Amino acid sequence: MFGRSRHLLLAAAIALPTALHAGPADNSLTIALGEELPGFDGYISTSRDGVVVTRHLFDMLIYRNPETFDYEPLLATAWRRIDDLTWEFDLRPGVTFHNGDAFTAEDVVWTLTTYADPATGARSQAAVSWIDRVEAVDELTVRIVSKEPFPAALEFVAGSLPIHPAAYAQEVGLEGFAQAPVGTGPYRLGEVRGGDFTLLRNEAYFEGGGKGTPAIDRIDVRLIPDTATRIAEILSGGVDWTWNVPADQIPQLDGLPHVTAELGTTMRTAMILLDGAGRANPDTPLADVRVRQAINHAIDREGIVAALVGGTGEVIHAPCYPLQFGCVSEAAVVYEFDPARARELLAEAGHADGFTLRMGSFRDRARAEAVQANLAAVGIRVEVEMLQARASFSSWREGQIDMWYGDWGSFSIADNSAAMGNFFDGSPNDGALDEEINALVAEAARIVDPDERLAAYAEAIRLATERAHWVPMHTIVMGYAYNAGLNFAAPVDEVPRFFLSSWN
Amino acid sequence: MLSFLMRRLILSVAVVSAISVITFVLSHVAIDPAAGIAGDSATPADIALIRAQYGFDRPLAVQYLAYLGQIAQGDLGRSYLTRQPVADMILARAPVTATLAGLAILLALALAVPLGVLAALRPGSGVDRLALAIAVTGQAIPNFWAGLLLILLFGVTLGWLPISGSATWAHFVLPTITLGTFATPALMRLVRAGMIEVLEADYIRTARAMGLRERTILFRFALRPAILPVISLTAVQLGFMLGGSVVVESVFALQGLGYLAWQSMTRADMPVIQAIVLMVSLIYVGLMLLADALNAALDPRIRAAQ
Repeated sequence: MFGRSRHLLLAAAIALPTALHAGPADNSLTIALGEELPGFDGYISTSRDGVVVTRHLFDMLIYRNPETFDYEPLLATAWRRIDDLTWEFDLRPGVTFHNGDAFTAEDVVWTLTTYADPATGARSQAAVSWIDRVEAVDELTVRIVSKEPFPAALEFVAGSLPIHPAAYAQEVGLEGFAQAPVGTGPYRLGEVRGGDFTLLRNEAYFEGGGKGTPAIDRIDVRLIPDTATRIAEILSGGVDWTWNVPADQIPQLDGLPHVTAELGTTMRTAMILLDGAGRANPDTPLADVRVRQAINHAIDREGIVAALVGGTGEVIHAPCYPLQFGCVSEAAVVYEFDPARARELLAEAGHADGFTLRMGSFRDRARAEAVQANLAAVGIRVEVEMLQARASFSSWREGQIDMWYGDWGSFSIADNSAAMGNFFDGSPNDGALDEEINALVAEAARIVDPDERLAAYAEAIRLATERAHWVPMHTIVMGYAYNAGLNFAAPVDEVPRFFLSSWN
Repeated sequence: MLSFLMRRLILSVAVVSAISVITFVLSHVAIDPAAGIAGDSATPADIALIRAQYGFDRPLAVQYLAYLGQIAQGDLGRSYLTRQPVADMILARAPVTATLAGLAILLALALAVPLGVLAALRPGSGVDRLALAIAVTGQAIPNFWAGLLLILLFGVTLGWLPISGSATWAHFVLPTITLGTFATPALMRLVRAGMIEVLEADYIRTARAMGLRERTILFRFALRPAILPVISLTAVQLGFMLGGSVVVESVFALQGLGYLAWQSMTRADMPVIQAIVLMVSLIYVGLMLLADALNAALDPRIRAAQ
């Protein structure tokens, strides 16, 4: 009896996996993500995986081409600036939501007005708090009015403001909408099984928008938190695409005939934030600019990038991503790797015997330990505290640590207001609390003239680096692994677009 | 018997209360809950507003009493992130974990009892040594490592079994083996020790002298008394499995309670973590109580000793 059932079990096990996954044969794609989404509301699911998924379900008014960085039409066909505060958008006629409702100016007004209200609880207030009001001019024309001149407005319109159907969203409420979303996007939500779900091609998707016409019929999204398990699924062919693959695994994976693996450049930048304001320790040695400059000189960023980042990762000198508008890298004061100079500066500051600092980090222990070793070499003892991303960032924001070796993706917004604007602002993110720089950064976010804006950001960057409030470190590379038969291009803004993918 | 159970029950309530205090204090001290709710781009003013709205500015003891009052009404709170009731989230995940733990304990027993009996029949023999080797190996290999090795062999190299997910029963095979073999050794050692003791007892010698068949002696007269302590250990092991499932569910991407706990930890979703810790400890304490009661019912000496 036991023997027979064992044979049955084996036979069934052999037959099962092949039936589960088809791939190119039925034009479907199975992707594995590492993080469970709290829902499908793009204003609440703002983690990276959430952004990827909601961009398939929803459309913004305009689209930023990931290769050219140009704005292209999406739900809006044309747009113009009316005055310093006002943008006007002509909406595309004939667009319908997944439930058949027609898309009109009313949907734009309701969505943006609702989420701009802090009480609604959009997780990224920076994406919506600039909006003063939204007005429908007629059924297919809408105006967004900002509270103050806001030059980065189009970046947020293209990157962070999906449009929901007003009638349906009000009917089901916020929580209901997050579980059963309806958008205009190239894919609609199919079956949901716990954290796994299916995206089905929107057959009625409009033509002529920047997202093009989707090629793949069905995207099965699998939730696999463990990196090694995700890699095993890629090896066995159970999953066609995944990301967040560690850099050291990429060459081996790419050597396999059925797998393509690569490191893609991203807009994410790593930095070490220094608690010069003394939130964690009122007597912090970091209050002395010479100590902060010494730390900048002590860290071998070229070495860390070459050995531990890999791919297209590069050293940065300014506290922002070089391709962002207003990230004037030339204005940054550059600190060469010079441990001798670091020791001199520490001695001048009266710390020849060194001191101890607590540094939090999360993404990569090896990099954190390299910094620890660099600083130990000039006499600064560092206690490294590795935590999960959110917990680590929280410990910095709550002033529990002296330094935070973290990174920042600027919500994929190609404007310095999303980088420096989130750290030199007197918020819990800000460990420098440098009023002069904060005033400059706040002003730069409101200047409409591009040249004047650049000048303001250049000055802010010069001051921030001269005063060594941060150690700008390097860009982060993203490891992708996918089926060699899949057409996929790794995007710089870290938002994979499967509506552009197809099978060979 | 009744007073014994009462004493145990009071002790259990004390343990659960202590755990609820510890988890409550830890989850309010480790991370500022107001900052957690406010999100990543909140200003200090936003956070202060939320702190006042949610009452996080009250003394911790007052907050704890309010929390107890909530729990008494069956309200476990809402997730910071999804805003869903925590109770709903837990109920949705519980079946996966229950299935996994149940299958794993069955597998552990199915391996431990025959191996333990075989080992006890000839102490010091090759079979005994082999059983010991299995026990030591099973206990020594960490869950996640065993899981990865199984994935490599059966999922990648042989391609026989699905690697991750919970779509079909085949998805439970590898996680069950991973979790079950971890619990096997302790149970097996107990079966072996119990059997060796019983087989040396006078009444077994009598049974042999009467000419009863060896199989009858083994299964009718020896195994029953030998297996009594195994029952209570099984209850304890089931409790351990709830802890082990955090790792195993994450490795195999089974969306159960352990997995929910892990995800909630990575995003500092305190109400969920708090509720899961409380629930798992309740189950654990409940199982211990059950084991004590069973032991006492089956063995009068335990009742007398208290």
